[in-house]
Amino acid sequence: MKSVEIKICNSRFHKNIGKYTVSLSDSCFHCGLCVELCPYCVFERKDGFNHVSTPNSAGCLGPECKEGPYYCTTKCPVDAIKIELDPQWKTLGDFRWTPDLLITTWQQAETGEIPSGNLEYKIGASGGGFDSFDFTVDGLTAISSEEIDNIISSDKISTSICLNRRAEGASIEIPVPWYGAGMSFGSISLPSMLARAHSAKAWKTFTSTGEGGYPDELIPYGNHVITQIATGLFGVSEETIKRTPIIEFKYAQGAKPGLGGHLLGDKNTPSVAEMREAVPWNSLFSPFPFHSVYSVEDHKKHIDWVKTINPDALISVKVSTPSDVDMVAVGSYYAGANIIHLDGGYGGTGAAPEIAKKNIAMPIEYAITKVHKFLVEEGVREEIVLLASGGIRTAFDIAKSIALGADGAIIGTSDLVALGCVRCGNCESGRGCPRGIATTDPELEKQIDYLWGAQRIINLYASWQKQLKLLLYKLGLKDIKELRGRTDFLRHIDEK
Amino acid sequence: MYKRYHIETSLVELSTTKIGKFEIIRNDYCLNCGQCMTHCIYDVHKRASDDPRLMSDPVNHLCKNCFSCIQNCPYHALEMVKNKEFEKLGNTYWTPQIIHTIWNEAEEGKIPVFGAGYRGRFRGRGFDDIWTDMSEIVRPTRDGIHGREYIATSVDLGRKLPWISDFRRLDLPNTHEIKIPMLFDTSPLGISSRGIILPIIRAAHKLGTFAFLGIENYFAELKPYLKSIALRCSLDKITQIDQFPWKEVNFIEIVIPRKFSISELELALKKLKSENRTALISLGLSDFSLSTGIFKQLKEARAAILNFYADNEGQSFEGDIFICDSIRKLQLALVKERMRGEVTILAKGGIAAAEHVPKIIICGADAAVLDLSLLVAAGCRVCKVCKMDDCPAELAKLDPETTEQRIINMIGAWRDQLLEILSAMGIRDVRRLRGEKGRAMFYEEIERESFEFIFKENGSFK
Repeated sequence: MKSVEIKICNSRFHKNIGKYTVSLSDSCFHCGLCVELCPYCVFERKDGFNHVSTPNSAGCLGPECKEGPYYCTTKCPVDAIKIELDPQWKTLGDFRWTPDLLITTWQQAETGEIPSGNLEYKIGASGGGFDSFDFTVDGLTAISSEEIDNIISSDKISTSICLNRRAEGASIEIPVPWYGAGMSFGSISLPSMLARAHSAKAWKTFTSTGEGGYPDELIPYGNHVITQIATGLFGVSEETIKRTPIIEFKYAQGAKPGLGGHLLGDKNTPSVAEMREAVPWNSLFSPFPFHSVYSVEDHKKHIDWVKTINPDALISVKVSTPSDVDMVAVGSYYAGANIIHLDGGYGGTGAAPEIAKKNIAMPIEYAITKVHKFLVEEGVREEIVLLASGGIRTAFDIAKSIALGADGAIIGTSDLVALGCVRCGNCESGRGCPRGIATTDPELEKQIDYLWGAQRIINLYASWQKQLKLLLYKLGLKDIKELRGRTDFLRHIDEK
Repeated sequence: MYKRYHIETSLVELSTTKIGKFEIIRNDYCLNCGQCMTHCIYDVHKRASDDPRLMSDPVNHLCKNCFSCIQNCPYHALEMVKNKEFEKLGNTYWTPQIIHTIWNEAEEGKIPVFGAGYRGRFRGRGFDDIWTDMSEIVRPTRDGIHGREYIATSVDLGRKLPWISDFRRLDLPNTHEIKIPMLFDTSPLGISSRGIILPIIRAAHKLGTFAFLGIENYFAELKPYLKSIALRCSLDKITQIDQFPWKEVNFIEIVIPRKFSISELELALKKLKSENRTALISLGLSDFSLSTGIFKQLKEARAAILNFYADNEGQSFEGDIFICDSIRKLQLALVKERMRGEVTILAKGGIAAAEHVPKIIICGADAAVLDLSLLVAAGCRVCKVCKMDDCPAELAKLDPETTEQRIINMIGAWRDQLLEILSAMGIRDVRRLRGEKGRAMFYEEIERESFEFIFKENGSFK
């Protein structure tokens, strides 16, 4: 993609967190050999300084470097360098988003390159679902770096998907098989929304408004912003429906299926409330379900209604994953939807009851298989686009979703991780995100410059596209569309 | 006037439950510049009150793991490590996270709501192998919490007549409605401290449910709450029951020992029924090997309630079977005998989190019996060896009112979470959830259904 410009985009913090911690003992006499040796900029001597700066541990590859020519510890003339596992490492992340995944996602957002170290960037540690299987070929090994560059830069391998497979209606193609999930104004800050919209425009893909209305600042990105109509109808107007190429009906969200959106009072600041036409500082709980939809026929009526307002728009239907999700998907197809968006139970959220995240509705891995199979049996699979979300963290998760039967994926949390999210899970109340991402606090949100944030997301997407191209090459495919439903490329991880 | 059932919760903090997950270490080379204070929005970092030039030690239990102070420290002087105190809580079943969650529920009485998606393992053993269902298109069922329609959480205990055979000799059905599908048990860990028993029974009294109490633990202050006590007595000690006010209670449980004769049981039942006609009578079982004839005997003895005991980790005492599976088997056996509708099933042991209540009901129980979780609400840390005189949570010294309110808070939070589960399914009455296996997804079944056809040909399905 020539229009996408990758630029190095460093973290906004003084200190980055890595797997190892590098320290210099007192015996160091600041000869600067390590500064010359290390290609990963762990050591630095600032201009005009005699002393070597405190090591930037986050860049260190750890013992993996031992074999190579740069290994600083043994080369140091006075044995002053010590590399240890950072105890902090263990406090980061969780089973789904392991410390490795968080850090490699940050790395990708910085450089736009496929992570090169020994950190695991493909798979989490939850022990099931995407984390329990992988591809029968590894996407990277045994290809020379020149060849890799060739594959990545050429347009011979396509990663684009079409968002409308019906004969009628607009034809919208996106160059990567994913777009951004709905995150409302209120759950995340305006700069975060703008960063997402800006990167969506750069990549010619989409982002979604979520349930909190359509801020005017997003209008310049209008061709790449999906208007979401959720059960609370917060901030939805005819004007915002007319503005968009895709309309997304949110029936339910994977993290809180059957419960409706939550925005706790603390985050409902006057500006959020104005956008939502609600009373400030009141908790906003969206109803469940749409009180105008109690059957598939009602659903069709709903779609007809927005089609009257905006006849050109494609219709996406976002549903969570109950045991009868296959019926719901087919019903949506017959009601006229172009996209079925399945949101799995382990998906992201700005605020949800813990009990709902863990227990209600099935994980996305099962739902994709179930719905894909059913749509094929019904003979309508080729007329509908099936997109998956809810726990899709990496390029490999996207590829696995597609191999299981989806056309593409929808990404939420990974965008935020690119902006520096550590998944501490405190976005729901108080002043919101202390790191300025999912907050409505006017002071905290200043931490994010939206152009910086956009570049981080652009870089992450670039790295993902490279990974997908390489994987397709290894699998002997030329187009991501050929991967759909190719479960024969998957194997259980225990069977390695 | 009609009054909607409501659990009144209020904030009750305990100093012994303030154990943070993380610990922040301030290294010696800290410059005391105060950047950490600027970036922390949770008041973890403060200047020392006696010398404002210095930073005081971080208040670790307020830390929420956002890394803001650490990453913004210009001198890299702060470090975060896991708090060992936290890691030491509980055991592999009663994990630190489970204990921490109960503590928060007991403190605030609210549903735990947090941002970001699920963070745990894909699946686990027992309860963690079950997902509950939801309905995409339902009538509105979101209830009381957000002020819409009402969902009933009452269940009936006792024997319901399958049909009326003779109107002239009509026995009134002897059932008792409790407002929540949860009963309490005062016997966890064998603790017989009165300071714990009293608040548990008072909480049961206030909430309109029962609390089990062994006869040996009865004491006079409990007299006002007799109607909420389920008096428990072993079958072989049934003669001792006369020393206690058993004729005034509404609920008596007979613990069935491993070896017993049915005539002995019939005799005991006859005695209890003749002198306390209205009491519910339950049989406490720890062995569910019902195929060996005991089942038929229970039927003959006209047991109204079966209380199945498992240990604190939910494992059955006989054989290594998790409580979900035991209850599913029991439910199936009763259905097969065509007597499921007549018998109430209670499940005790291993109920450690709000989601366990609807899950055990889906497996076939009418209600769950909470035991250790009540102690945890009081502040218990589920130590490996329990010593009351050296208790880190000072359980023996607790103020009964505080403990009572903490238990009520936890139940309030659990009931609200039960409502969330029911409303997502579009079910308005917890009675309808009983044995509704179709409203749950079991790991093994769904994994096979989804992935067998994928991995079979690759030979990789386990």
